[in-house]
Parts: sequence; C-alpha cells; structure tokens
Amino acid sequence: MIYHPKTPLEAVMLRKEHADTAVYLAGGTDDLRLNGSAQGKDLIDINGLGFDDIFARDGKLYIGARCTLNQIIESELVPAFIKEAAHFCASFVKRNSATVGGNIGLRRQDSYLAAALTAADAVLKSITPHGEEMKPIGEYLQSDCKRLIEYVVLPAKRTGWVKRFTNTTSSHAAVTAAASEGIYALSVSGSGFAYGTDPDLADTMEFTDDISGSAEYKKYLAKIVFTLGR
Amino acid sequence: MEVKCRLNGENIVLQGEPTVRLREVLYHTGCYSVRDSDDAEGFAGSDTIIFNGELKYANFIMLYQAEGAEIKTAESLLVNGELNYVQKAMVAAGIVQSAYNAPAAALILTWLLEKHPNPTRQQVKNVMTSIFIRDAGYEHYYLAVKLACELRDFGEFKTEIAPSFRPQLDIIGKPAGKIDGAALVSGEPVFVEDKVPANSWCLHVLRSPFASAYIKSIDTSEAEKLDGVAAIITAFNCPDVYYMQAGQGTPEPSPHDRRLFNRKVRHVGDRVAGIVARTLEIADKAASLIKVEYEPTDAVFTVEEAMAEGAPLVHNGPVQYNAGAPEDLEEYNKLQGDPREGKVVYQFPLHADIHKNIAASNKGGIGDMEKGFAEADAIVEATYQTSQIQHTPLEPHVCYAHVESGRLVLNCATQVPYHVRRIVSWVCGIPENKIHVIKERVGGGYGSKQDILVEELTGYAAWITKKPVYYRNTRAEEFYANSTRHPMRVHVKMGGKKDGTITALFMEVCANTGPYGNHCLTVPMNSCSKTMPLFKVDNMAYDLKVYYTNTPPAGAYQGYGTPKGTYGIMMAMAELADKLGIDYRTMVEKNHVEEGYMLEILKGLGEGREGAVVPVGSCGLDEAIKQGCDMIDWGKKEVSEDPDWKIGKGFAMIMQGSGLPGLDHAEAIAKLETDGTVILNSGGADLGTGLDTISAKIVAEVLKLPMERITVVSGDTDSCAFDTGAYASSGTFFSGNASLVATTKLKELILKEAALQMEEKVENLDVRAPGEVYSKASGATLSYYDLVHTATSGMGRGQMVAHGSFVTNASSVPYGAHFAQVAVNVKTGEIKVQKFYALQDAGTPINPEIALCQMYGAVMKSIGHSLYEDMKLDKNGKCINANLTDYGAPMIDEAPEDFKSVLIDVDDKFGPYGAKSISEIACNGAAPAIGIAIHDACGVWLRSWPMTPEKVLKALGKI
Repeated sequence: MIYHPKTPLEAVMLRKEHADTAVYLAGGTDDLRLNGSAQGKDLIDINGLGFDDIFARDGKLYIGARCTLNQIIESELVPAFIKEAAHFCASFVKRNSATVGGNIGLRRQDSYLAAALTAADAVLKSITPHGEEMKPIGEYLQSDCKRLIEYVVLPAKRTGWVKRFTNTTSSHAAVTAAASEGIYALSVSGSGFAYGTDPDLADTMEFTDDISGSAEYKKYLAKIVFTLGR
Repeated sequence: MEVKCRLNGENIVLQGEPTVRLREVLYHTGCYSVRDSDDAEGFAGSDTIIFNGELKYANFIMLYQAEGAEIKTAESLLVNGELNYVQKAMVAAGIVQSAYNAPAAALILTWLLEKHPNPTRQQVKNVMTSIFIRDAGYEHYYLAVKLACELRDFGEFKTEIAPSFRPQLDIIGKPAGKIDGAALVSGEPVFVEDKVPANSWCLHVLRSPFASAYIKSIDTSEAEKLDGVAAIITAFNCPDVYYMQAGQGTPEPSPHDRRLFNRKVRHVGDRVAGIVARTLEIADKAASLIKVEYEPTDAVFTVEEAMAEGAPLVHNGPVQYNAGAPEDLEEYNKLQGDPREGKVVYQFPLHADIHKNIAASNKGGIGDMEKGFAEADAIVEATYQTSQIQHTPLEPHVCYAHVESGRLVLNCATQVPYHVRRIVSWVCGIPENKIHVIKERVGGGYGSKQDILVEELTGYAAWITKKPVYYRNTRAEEFYANSTRHPMRVHVKMGGKKDGTITALFMEVCANTGPYGNHCLTVPMNSCSKTMPLFKVDNMAYDLKVYYTNTPPAGAYQGYGTPKGTYGIMMAMAELADKLGIDYRTMVEKNHVEEGYMLEILKGLGEGREGAVVPVGSCGLDEAIKQGCDMIDWGKKEVSEDPDWKIGKGFAMIMQGSGLPGLDHAEAIAKLETDGTVILNSGGADLGTGLDTISAKIVAEVLKLPMERITVVSGDTDSCAFDTGAYASSGTFFSGNASLVATTKLKELILKEAALQMEEKVENLDVRAPGEVYSKASGATLSYYDLVHTATSGMGRGQMVAHGSFVTNASSVPYGAHFAQVAVNVKTGEIKVQKFYALQDAGTPINPEIALCQMYGAVMKSIGHSLYEDMKLDKNGKCINANLTDYGAPMIDEAPEDFKSVLIDVDDKFGPYGAKSISEIACNGAAPAIGIAIHDACGVWLRSWPMTPEKVLKALGKI
C-alpha cells in the first residue's frame, strides 16, 4: 500500500495510524534497498511535500529534510564539515537520491550525518500530531518518536570536524565522530550514539564485536578520536 | 498500472504493479543496459539511469514514481546506430572487458561530460564512485574521459592509449579495440539473461541452514500440490551420480564427492531441494511448504579444527579410486560411517585421508634441507594466513536451459563450455551429442565460472521437466553457495647467509577446501609451484595438506593458490633480509632465477602428476625489478608532514604460467567464406578478456585481412572444436596458438588453391593486404573473393577449411614485480596505498591496452583481498556479510593515488607471436608488496589477510 499525503500533517497522522506497518518514503536508498526498512511495510510517500531547499535566515541555516546529500555538498551555505559528512555516502548516484531526513530518521548507528549535525547543535523543525515542534537532534536520535522532519536547523557559520572509520569508503562505519565548538558526538556500530560537552564519550558506552570490528578496536577509536585534532 | 513517461526521447506507456522497480520494467521494455548486479543493494551501479536529468539507481525507483518522468538509459547514447564519443573512447581505452555494467558507466561519463566538458580527475572520480568495476580497474576510466574529449574536440585520439610492440607486425601488439566492444558498451542483449524467453520457468534452490547435518527426510507433497510447480528435486530422487564441480580436464585432480543433492548437507547454503516453478513467487511458496527433517552434526570451519584429533569428519563414506587404488583400500573403507555420507571417488591418488579430513596432500623438494639450514646465518620461520574471498563478478552465476529437438541446450556464462557439457552429460545421463552448450558473453568470471556451479542442476531440471528453465544466483548466494578463494595457512621457513644468499626454503601449506574438493589439489599446489621456481635455491621443500571443512565451498580463483604462496614467501624473504640487516632488493636480486636456469623443483610440482623439469624461458623479471625500483625510488625514505602517518615501500616478484603444458588442449577451425571473409570457430572461451580479439588479430596478421572481415565464433560446443577452456592463464597461449595453427593451415590451403588457379608455383605465392594472393614471380594477384568463388563454383575443389590443434609441453612463464608505497597512521591504524606500480612481462602483449586494464583490474582485486575483503562466518558457519557493502569490495576510492601498469618487453619462443599470459599473475603481488611496505612504514609484520587497521593497532600494541 502506498499513501500519498497532501500535507505534512496528513503524513504524520498516517504514520501514527499505521505505526507498525508503514514507513515514510523519500529518496528510497534505505527503504528500497536490499533488506531495506520498507520490506513488508506500507509506504507514506512524502516526495510531494516540499522542504527540499537550503536557506539561511536570522543566523540560522535551514536544510530541508528532503534535500539530497548532493544538494548539501553543492550548497555554498552548508558548513564544510557537514559537507564532508554527506560525502561519507561514497556513491555519487546514491547521494542524488539519499535525503537528509532519511539519513537521520532511520537512526542508524552508521548514519553519515548524525554525528556531524549533533555536534553542530542542530535542531529538527518537525511536524508531530500536535503540530510543529523543535527538537534537538541529539534527543531525537535517542528517542523513537515518529515525527516528520521538515528542516534541520543549525547555526549558519558553524565550524567543526568529522571523522569516520570504515573498512572501505562504501562500508558501514565502525565509528563516526564529530566535534564542533565544544560539542562532541560519537556514533559507534553496535553501541549507539552519545554526545555532550565532554570528549570522554567512550566511557559512557558499551562496545560489542560486529562486522565493523572488535569491541576493543571500536573502544580504542572512540577514546582517541577526539585527541586526533584536525 | 500504466505510467506515461518519456523513455530515450520517446513517449511511452510503461506497465506493471505500482511498486515494481523501474529497473525491472525498463529491462523488460528492451533496455537491456539497465542490469542488476546486487539485488537492489545500491552498490554496483549496473542499474544507473538518467531520471529527470539526474543520475539515479533504477532499483530505488518504483514504477509509479516514473509518471511523467524523462528517462534515459544507455540505449539513448547511440548516434544513428553508432557508438557515441564516450563509448568509442571506452572501447579504445581497453576498459570494456566483461562489461556487465559498461553501458551504465558510459551513461555516467556521458552525463558528466555534458555537465563538465573538460572534467578534472577529481570530477571523474566523483561520478565513478557510483559504479563497481571488478575487471579492468578504474585507472583507464580517466584515460577514456581524456580520449572522449579529444575525439569530441579533434575528431581523433591524440593521447597514446598504450605502447605498441613488434613494429614488424601489422596488428599484433597494437591497441586496436576489442571486437565485441561495441556490442558490450552499447548494451546489446549479449548475456545469458538476455536470452531467456518470457515463458521460461525458474529454478529456486532451498538451502541448508546447518553447516553439517544429515537429511532424515524431506516431505515435498504439499509443495508439489501448488499450481505452477513442475518438479522438486532432492537427494531422494536425483541421479545417483557422483561428480565434482571443478571445470578441469578429465581425469580431474579433484575428488568426485557430491551428487546434485546429498543426504548430508555440508555447509550453510548447501543444496537441499531444487524447485522448478512457473514463477519465483511460486517457487518461494513451494520452498516454504517443504518439510525437511535434519539431524545436525558437529562441524569444522578451520584447518586447525579439521586436523584436530577426533575432529568431526566432513566426509566419512567409502572411498573409491578409478586408477591407482592403494592396496589397503578395503581395510581403509571399514572405517566408513553413516551410509548417508555418500562416497568419495578419486580419479587417481591425491594422497588423501578423508578420515583425517584431508582431501589431498603432496610433498617433495630438492637438495638437503638440513644442510641448507645449517649453512644459514639467520633463519626466519613465520606463518601467513589468508582469508576466504569471493570473486564478486558483476554478473552472478546464471544458466538458461531448454530442450529442443530432443537435445538439451544450455546458454551459459562459463569459462569452460566443454567441461560443462561433459559434466551435464554425466549428471543427466545423456551423451554429449545430445547437449549443446552456448557460451554467451560472460559478465565477469575470475575463476568462479571455471566451476560448474549452476549449469548441471539447471540442465537436469530442464531435461526432466522438458520446460525452459532459468536459474540465477542471488548476490547473497554468490557468497555462501558458490566457490571462493581457498583460505590458506602458509608456513615458511627460510634461511640465508649474511650476503643475502638463501640457503634453504621450506613451505608448509594447509588449505581449506570447504565441504567439497573442487581444485583441492591444484589451487593449493600453485602456492608452491608458482612461487618456489622464482628462486635459485638448491635446497627447497614443501609439504601441503588440504582439508575438508564446513565453510562455504572453495574453488578456482584468478591466480589459484599463487597469491597466497607469494604473500608468504615474499614476506618471509623480507623478514629474513630484515633479520640479516641487508637491503631487501639486494636479497631479491641475489636469489631470483634468470633465463636458462634449470628448474629442478618443478619435478614434484605437477598437478597430481610428475612435473617436467624445464629451464626458465623468456624472463623479464630482472628488468621489472630494476624499472620498478627506479619508479618508486627504492631506498629513499619518504616522510609525511603529519607525524602520525608513516610511509613505507615494498615490492614482490611474481610469476604464473600460461596454461598447463601437457594437460591443456585447444582447437580452432578457420574457414574462408564464399566472399573471401573468414570465420574462425575457436573452442576458447572469451570471458571478457579479449581472447576473441586475439584470435581475430592472429587471423588478420596471418592472412593480411582487415579486422572487419573476420568473425570469431567461440565457446559453442556444436560449431567449434574442443578446448579445455579459459583458466590457468591458458587463453592467449593455448587458444591463441590453436587459432594460429588453424589460420596458418588455412593460409597454406589458400596458397595451394591459388597456385592451381593462377598456374603458379606455391613457393612463388604469398598473401598481402587487403586479402589477396600475389605472385612474387609474375606480379599476378588473385583476391580471396575470386579465389574462393572459383573454389566453390561447382567445378572447384571446395571451400578452404583448416583445423588447428595445439598441445605442448613447453612452458611460457610470465614474470613481473609489483611495487607499493603505503602510508600507515600509527594512531588509528589506517592504511592508504599511495602508489602502486605493476610491472609485468607478458611476452608480446597482443592487445596492449586490454592487457594494461587487466593488470589494473587484477591488482585492484588483490588490493581488495589484501586490505578489505573478507567473508565472515558466525559460529554456526553462516556468512554474515553476504553483500558487496559489508564484504568490503573495493571501489574507486580504494584505488591507489598513483597507479601505473607497465608492460616489460620480452619476446617468447612458444607463445603466439611471442605472447604469454597477463592477468592472473597480476593478482599475486599486492599482498606482499603492501605487507612489506607496512613494515617499512611502521615496523610491524602483518601476517594475515586482510591487513586491517585493527591488525595494525594490535601489532603496534595499541589494543
């Protein structure tokens, strides 16, 4: 079943109504990929709902959730380290379809953008059944709320760095780390996501072996990554 | 639903379910270029299209989303039926090889050049991140873009595509494109999948969830009741025929240790039932209704587990020998276990002991090892481990079979059409004249299509049901139900004197062949037979054992066992040089063979038979080492600006073979057609490497005919004569030589006939361009057209047809040296290959541009094996990374920053026009070159594949 909501609110209401059986469909690179999240699910196609632009207003940068990763890379407004994070999706063609909202909304531990945007102190402008709300991305990533992201909002001139450890450039990440103006964010395969103003984030995490590497390897990286500097 | 859109400039209505993937719809609309290599994983890029002006993967678009869209596929690139400038440049650059996704690459590059008419290297790299190239590497894609720009701007190529060789020859040794390049790059329906009619039935295989289990019972009754199920084949109704899946000359040096289906499953993914159904959906449903009662047994996954006292036995049935049975066989067979084990049939002794899980073994040597080690000033002893690697051809294993006029016809993507025919004949119980194997274009083989992994079951399914049956592996099945590179443990003991002279060399190899013994002797033997003969050492010995285990099966892989042996032996030499305190280059140069050196070590290194002791023939090894050392500035320590990054250099000398002297066999038939053109029927199997082009060039060179007047038909068992197939680097040397013999004979027939027609002496006649006979005595000429017309006019002596057969005991060995410069981050363990230089002696490279690309492609595979690729099994033997992303297939981002392939000019006495093999050898150097460079960079020896950052950190004591 494919739903074609006319408004963001309608999309959210559909998602609420079909919480266990439906997912949002935007670029499709995760939903429609082999063993993807849409397998066996109904789809709520949000491609006609706008929020596919990037603009700056009042010192804030707004990145539409339906912007593709290549739009981020090509934008002159987006900070360099966020662009670098978008490049973590190695395939140019995939970046033409993969969206910002999709990458955040799936809450994958190997998300290309989550660490960078969290360190950038980004806030999600989103639609909930109760109306429009703002939510810090870090909080969103650690919850399971099903709001529809419209825009990622961050300080316009943010500086920072991001680092990703993978097998190949196309592999899923073992560890992704980002730091920006005193905020640190860390995403570790098998462990989850942590952020804060103290770089010793590894101490807050449990580490496990998986195909991206051993627990001790990931723990080591998580401990030293913020000492690497840029 | 119906979807209106514009497809390749035409308004069109597409039909299908709303959620069907656009790729599937486009393909079935006739856009054959939109292929699928990864089951919608979004990795390989074979499904790339232009969708509303942007490059997209068609698998990520559903049909309903195409409403009103403007869609372009690679079919749109042709200009008045001709290749566009990018496609022409790609063919010229040599990158159109197996070419399964070449059309998609052409579309991507054309899109790029429309956006950026003169793109930078970075811009080319950026778009090429979208596509997985396994055959030709990525380096000549940059060249192709440059050539495309030149063709567009100047109407011709300005840049030298590849060096030319043999100025005295017209076409051999010159870059001239590939004769099937246009068909491949334009997306013509040339692959097996393109030959499958819409009414074909599908074959689906139910696979084992256990690594080792007896099948107590299978109840297929409910599944059989489903409409659209034609047959279900299991261990209880399949032929009681034992065979093996290795495509080797018969009698094979591999045990016949399996049937189509066995009562004991021996790996996760082993066959349990084959379901022939009208659709895959019906087959899936039927599979879910099959009730299988398993009796799980203990399994072993490593050679250490397999060799342990009291280890579970992978095979424990009776053993038979078709020749050379040991005297104690009857006693030995009293140890056999459960009757459900089945039997193991050896064609001749391979020194096996299945009650110790040993599928094959061999040992031997020369000289006096004890004396050799006693003379050494230093000895190193180390063990090198290699992992399980998958070939990942872009086109998975496929087969289409149907019955026509009482014969079984198979369209195959195979390297061994005649071995396919033989094994299908055995399994189906029908004679070979009732089987027609047609080798289609092969979308990547690398050895995996030397094995008959799907053809025998598909053929049998079609034969018993009389239905057209199509089978295609999923990408996941390619990993766990296919053949892979044998994991090996290579233990090397090497002793040397202070001046660098190696006094003794011992290799102990333990290989893991998985549950069945495909190539169980020959692949591991190569780890010794293609490495030890590099050394002028008087005392050498080897001891090799191959173990059955319950991992996914192993088999042939480009390079066979040589990459693993080379990794061990070169690393050990570098470790010894380090221990002796001398320069590694000095040690290499002191100990490597040169032309004329008698290779006594070969005596014991035959493929299950005694090997021939021969001298080293043409050899470019010394030159490759010298040039490579100059290129990489050997001896100069590079220093990074970032103190965390340490830079090091390494290299390895390499060798391979050119087919199997005394075992391989090739034939060809050359015919002068009735208009003076030539059709050459070659038994050889071009798997994308340009073998057909080699045959065509040989015809052109001998008969002085333009290439467009020559057609090569190959790999068709009805129309061609026997050839053992394309493996062991035999294509150019064996099949090429067969083409040369046939064409030379045809020339003799032409001159003989011309002498009669022209009333001249044969010795006064010769052939010349553009295809005519001329008299050196009288100056008279006779065109091939007139010659053959008269010969076939009703009063003539008939068409000129020549048959060529080629066998030899001569050995033409390619040599080379591969160099790497790496940077290692000592804080994070990250490894970057900054430079890679591959220098190889291929004799006369008949297709130099294609040869270079094969070197790039093989090196990229080897870099992948060395650093990234690894099949990971869980504790139950299930492959947990059975997809291209998680497996670690290298893409353009993993290619070295500075990457060069160099052909060392050496003429060979035995190859056709002096040619030797090219691509397999290129798999051998990366692991040791990189491993030695890593040590040079940061002081640690990484003794296992893949050499990962985690292993660096462990070796450095950081974790």
